[in-house]
Amino acid sequence: MPTLLDIEWETFELHREELVGRSEGKFALIHGDQVLGVFDSQQDAITQGYERLGNVPFLVKQILRFDVPQNFVTNLLGI
Amino acid sequence: MPSFTSQIPNLQAVGPVLELQLAVGAGAESALKKSKIQVPSPVRALALIDTGASATVIQQGMAAQLGLNPVGITHIHTPSSTNVRCFEYSVRLLISSNVIVETTVIEAPLQGQNIQCLIGRDVLAHGVLVYIGYSNLFSLSF
Repeated sequence: MPTLLDIEWETFELHREELVGRSEGKFALIHGDQVLGVFDSQQDAITQGYERLGNVPFLVKQILRFDVPQNFVTNLLGI
Repeated sequence: MPSFTSQIPNLQAVGPVLELQLAVGAGAESALKKSKIQVPSPVRALALIDTGASATVIQQGMAAQLGLNPVGITHIHTPSSTNVRCFEYSVRLLISSNVIVETTVIEAPLQGQNIQCLIGRDVLAHGVLVYIGYSNLFSLSF
């Protein structure tokens, strides 16, 4: 059973190479199977997402060839 | 430069903690108002400034309290796990009346010590953190 943003993540992966080729480092706005736009900043993409789609799940993803995970040294995170 | 300063008697033991309010981000607020939906009230949270966190985290369940939907996905490494998929949310951190930070946060389970938010280096990247240990004092300016 798909979880939230699974389709959007798959859409990004499907278009990753093409997006990296023309807009590496920028931010893609994705809803469903559509790449709605590419923006210079994460905040611009989020603002556009809310303006165009309202308060629904959407994916803003930095366009990178390889994703960099976030790192935490704390033991407060329960995962 | 908007600034927040706190003096805690046992700063070394407790760490740089502060009480903040977590509110929906500007984009969500506009979208809710446009749809004539009441904007949820901010939620109080005890936050720890954590220079060992590359990003800011909120306690699992807080995004739902604010009626927020995810705007991103990220993967995290912790001392005990790697590549854990988490959702990102667009929020506003109300640290004091004049220190307000619009940012995205990761939602993940936080355990123990009643901390509901870790302020990470993504937020610190925009400001100045001063930690004066011998005075039990720290300040955050943006």
